[in-house]
This record gives sequence, structure tokens and C-alpha cells, in this order.
Amino acid sequence: MRPDWSIFRRWEGLLLILLILIVGYNALSTPGYLTVGNWVNLFQLSIEKIIVALIMTFIIINAEIDLSVASVMGFSACMMGFLFAGGMPMEWAIAGGLLAGFVAGLFNSFWIGIVGLPSLVVTLAGLIGYRGLAYVLLEDRSIGEFPAWFDRLGQQPLIGPFPLALIVFFVLLIFAIIVLQYSGFGRYVYVIGNSKDVARYSGVRVRRTKMILFVVSSTVAALAGILYAARLGAVRGDMALGFELDIITMVLLGGVSIFGGTGTMWGVLLSVLIILNLRNGMGLANFSGHVQTGVIGVLLILSVLVPNLAGTVQAALKRRRARTVEVVAAE
Amino acid sequence: MRKLSTIILSLLVISSLLLAACAPAAPAPAPEAAPAEATEAAPAEATEAPAEEAAAEATEAPAEEAAAPSGDVIVATPGQAVKMVLMPKFLGILVFDQANQGAQEAHAELGNTDELQFLGPTPENSVAGQIEIVTNATTQGVQAIMISNNAGDQIAPAAQAARDAGMTVVTWDSPIPSAEGEQLFVAQVDFAETGTVMADMARSILGEDGGKFAVLSASPDAANQNAWIASLQETLTDPAYANLELLDIVYGNDQSEDSYNQALALIDKYPDMELIMAPTSVGIVAAAKAMQDEGLCDTVKVSGLGLPAEMVEYTLNGCAPEFALWSFVDLGYTTYYAAYLLATGAMQGAEGETFEAGRMGTYTIEKDPTRDAGLRIVMGPFTVYNADNVEAASK
Repeated sequence: MRPDWSIFRRWEGLLLILLILIVGYNALSTPGYLTVGNWVNLFQLSIEKIIVALIMTFIIINAEIDLSVASVMGFSACMMGFLFAGGMPMEWAIAGGLLAGFVAGLFNSFWIGIVGLPSLVVTLAGLIGYRGLAYVLLEDRSIGEFPAWFDRLGQQPLIGPFPLALIVFFVLLIFAIIVLQYSGFGRYVYVIGNSKDVARYSGVRVRRTKMILFVVSSTVAALAGILYAARLGAVRGDMALGFELDIITMVLLGGVSIFGGTGTMWGVLLSVLIILNLRNGMGLANFSGHVQTGVIGVLLILSVLVPNLAGTVQAALKRRRARTVEVVAAE
Repeated sequence: MRKLSTIILSLLVISSLLLAACAPAAPAPAPEAAPAEATEAAPAEATEAPAEEAAAEATEAPAEEAAAPSGDVIVATPGQAVKMVLMPKFLGILVFDQANQGAQEAHAELGNTDELQFLGPTPENSVAGQIEIVTNATTQGVQAIMISNNAGDQIAPAAQAARDAGMTVVTWDSPIPSAEGEQLFVAQVDFAETGTVMADMARSILGEDGGKFAVLSASPDAANQNAWIASLQETLTDPAYANLELLDIVYGNDQSEDSYNQALALIDKYPDMELIMAPTSVGIVAAAKAMQDEGLCDTVKVSGLGLPAEMVEYTLNGCAPEFALWSFVDLGYTTYYAAYLLATGAMQGAEGETFEAGRMGTYTIEKDPTRDAGLRIVMGPFTVYNADNVEAASK
């Protein structure tokens, strides 16, 4: 039987090759890279971003964007800290933080789903607004000294070597793969991303789907923000500042088109692994933060350029071939 | 054809990515080598004067304690291999580069056969970046890390994990507030003294009548700045300083633009403010520039902690007539000695131990009175700069 090489012509195939190269290079050049401890660290150091990247994949495939996620992370964590500092038991403060994220999601989805404003505008307002609320809640304070069990959840392994956040990520990942790739709701997300009008005329409830996505997005962001607070053991207003760009980078590098309709959860998973391993490898090789940001930036530019460039080149080749055929025919 | 072109393109991408990833690997050691050379040439002049002063004055106080029957002075054995990392709050700040020069000087002096890395996060990623560097250092088997903490207690879990893995953790410039995960803090000056120094400068600038002033600090989680501000507030309760009124404390996060805007906002908010006190080398320059740009240097003065090289212009034109600082080169140097002694096992990091830090003289480990837990040594001293001595110090 001939092996099926077709996977390597797809974006996911490229990502897989790239991932193997990076992991191979790190393994050969960096002692200590291939240890369980380092792999847990590698996930832990960006765990909140990759949790949010899962739901961001749905949103971008749906041809929308949620720029407010990082601000919602900060807002929810600050709400939790604010309530805790105000004397509320930790469990209730956590619930309050999650509720804050849920309400932020309702607010976003009202303007996007009911009023019909572009998500770019609504969530840009959210990016500024929820961050502002986070600062209003805590001003310049930093709130810490949470109960020991809360810090332990963020910092210590829960099952085997795996901390809570890592377990949350893998559970959500499996859930997201099933919903996006194998469920009716996932189909709707793709169809709407390809063409809102086609979807509507086919009887897909476009508005409802979008609203669900934005509420879930903010709620997941709130959960990620609280996990981040547990990992750091303290909250302050500028928590998770600028995370939205890292999150969107992961999704786009995963082969999800910014115009919606295409991309898979598998691609995003590969892209997450690439970025985490690249960062970790560069960190262990003592690259400065500036260089790390630069390399990730180059990666993103290429991820946007290459598919388009490949398309253009292919189209040009096709045209030339067509012309040759015409000339031959004329003779 | 189509398939072929896709494959060729893919290969191109991969190779260019690999190039991008590998290219910086080669020149990476270069910046390390450069400051090491520069250390010998430039700061030799720059630090000579303060170094002598520092050595003279700093040793005076601990000398008495050292004479106490507590025991022998611990001296470093040169030539041991200790893999070390010096971590600033973030990259691109002159004072931290100076600290690195001092650490490199000590590194060469002790003939450490392993490497000393200067690793810091980017400014916009300071908290997460510092945690990442400490975590990675643990994986790399680094034996000692020297931290100027910008992450408050958020860095404590990572520092504790490093300690559990057997790493020596010393803080300098800015400690871990809870002292969790930290063995020793190398304080640049006595934090309680900082408030008095700032209050004295305020009184000297504002005159006998006193006046109203505001504080422009770094980030709200910077333990050192917070301790100094607390000490300033404590000093102000003294009746001798009753005519000084602290209006507000604002934070510019050690970013020039932020600090500049915060200084302007203070002017709008408090028309009767006569002085901005910025206990940060970034904030003081930004505030002085803001006052100069607005033409307000006659009505609102700037003071605080700053670098002579960055402040000379504003001191000479009267915008910032007086400010203070210690030598960051000496701070990096002293910190290196402390970390080296702890990592080699020569010193245990217990209260009452006395050790010799090369040209800086001897220090005794004591309880840190500004924190509930934690041990420190105090380097010192302050130098107050004004129009008379700033030019010489800025060279």
C-alpha cells in the first residue's frame, strides 16, 4: 500500500513538521528539556492563554473576533480579589469572578447578536472597558494572601505531576474537538463563518450561535483569569494585559483564516505546541525576551503570508499552463 | 505541478523559520562579552569615587558589628564553578546595566569558571517574564539567581520552587515582600533611611516654609519603592517635617511615557503642588522632562532617586536641584559576592553571619526590619547630588 502523503500538503502537515523540528532541536541542544517537569512548566507558563485560545478558535472560524478576552481575564480576577478583600469567603469570591465574566459575555453578545454591531467594535470597546473596570475595582493595589488551598490549586500538582489548570485545559480541549469537529453546533459555526447569508437561508440560527459563542468566550476567559490568579497568588489591575494578541496569534498560526470558515482544532493544538516549545526552547537557550517576541512575530507573518503566497503562485502557474494549452491549440 | 510548488514553498518556509530561530543563537553571547570589557574600561572611572566612599563608609558601621563575638568573617574561595543568573526588573534600564557591570566585575575577580547570564523580561511582560526566567533557570540547573523583583509576591511560588530544587535565591534592589523563596536581600540602602533622605531633600528644595508635594513611583507592586514611600510617610509624621504635605502617590510603572503623563496629570490635579518626588530613576527623568517641556521648572521642582548621567541637564537648569542615589555597580558587585558565597556553601545565609564582599568590605546578615520575615544586608550609602557635584558624577 502506498503511504498517504497528502497530510503534508495541508497546513496541519506543515505545522507537524515544524513542531517535530523544534522539539528535535530542543531535545538535542538543551539538557533538561525532555523532562516531565519542564513539559509541565512549559504548559503552565502559558496555560491561561491556551485555554482561551480554544474558544477563540470557535469565534474566529465563525468570522468574528473577541478582543476583550484578556481584559475579561483581568476584570474577573480583580472582581474575585475585590470580593475576597471585602470579606467574602473564597468560594463565593470565585463564583463572583466567574459571574462577572458571564455578565461581560452577555453584554458583548447583546451588542453583537441583538443590535448587530461588528464584534471587532464591540469587543474593542470591551478591551478598554473591562480593563478600566479592573482598575476601578483595585486601583493601584495588589491583592494577595488568598487561602492556601487556592494558591495550591494554581501552583501545585493535583493529579500526578499535573496541576489543575493543565487538567482543565485537556478536558476543554477534548470537549472543543468534539464540539467543533464532530457536532451539529460545530457544523453551524463553520457554515456561518463561510457565509452568514447562506447559513441564515439554510435555517441556521445565526444570531443564537454567535451569542452563545461570545458568552462562552467571556466565561472561559473568566475561568482562565481566576486560574492565573491562583498561579500567581495575587491579582492586580494590569493582569493579563496584552494577552489577547498572543491568543489570536496561536489561533491564526493554527491555520484558522481570519476571514472565517476554515481551520481545525487540530491545527490550533499544533500551533499551541509549536509556540510553547519555541518559547521554552528559546528561554532555556537564554534568548532575551525581545528576540523571543521577534521570532514569534516572524512566525505569525509567515503563517499569514505563506498560504496566500502559495495560492497566488498556484493561480499564476495555472494561468500560464492554460495559455500554453491555448497556444498549442491555436497552432 | 501544483503539489510540487506547494512542497517547495513549504520547505522554503521551514528553512527560513529555522534560520530565524537559529540565527540569534550565534551572536547571543556577544552582548555578554561586550559589557564585560566595558566594565573594565568605563565604570572603573565612574565608580572609583563612589566606590571608595562606599567602601569607607559602608564598612564603618558593620565593622563594629563584625567585632562582636559572633564569629569569623567568611571569605570567598575563588575559582569555583557556579552557574549564575542576574535578573533585573526588566531590560533596557541604565541602572540595571550598571548592576550587571558590577556583577561581571565580581565574576571576573572571583574567577568563576561557569557563566554569569544577565537575563531579564521585556518591560511590558515584566511579571510573567520574571516568573518564566526563574522557572526556566530551575530547569537549566542554574545554581544561583539574583532577582530584582518587580512581581511582588507573585514571584514567590517560582522562587520557592527554585529553592526546593537546590538553587540559591538572592534578591537585590527589590525584595520579595513575603521573603518566601528568598534567602537573603541585598538592600542598596537602609530602607528606613530613604524616607528621611527624601524628606530632607524636599525640605531643602522647598525651604523652611515647606509646601505640598506628590510622589511619582514605579509600579504599585515594587517592594522597594513601596517601602521607601512608607518610610517617607513615617518620616513626615515627625513634627520637624510638619510643614511638608504629601498630596498623592501616583504610579508611572517605570515607563517613561506613563511617568511623563502621570507628572502632567499631577500638575492639573494639584495647582498648588510645588514638588514631585520620584523614587525611581525612570520616573524622576520623565517628571523633570515634563516640567521642562511645560516651562514649569520655576514653580514645580523635581527630586527623588536618579542617575547623575541622566539628571545632570535638569540639575544644572534648576528643574531638579537635588536628588540622591547609591552606586548600582557596587550593588551588583556586592550581590554577586553574597550569591557566590551562598551557592558554594561557604555561607549558610543565617542571621549574624559576617562575610567579606571584595572591595566593598564586610557585611553582617541581619533581620530586615521593613518586612515581617526575611534577612538582609545593607550596602549603602546615599550620595546626594546637586549642581556642585552632579557634573563630576555624570562623567
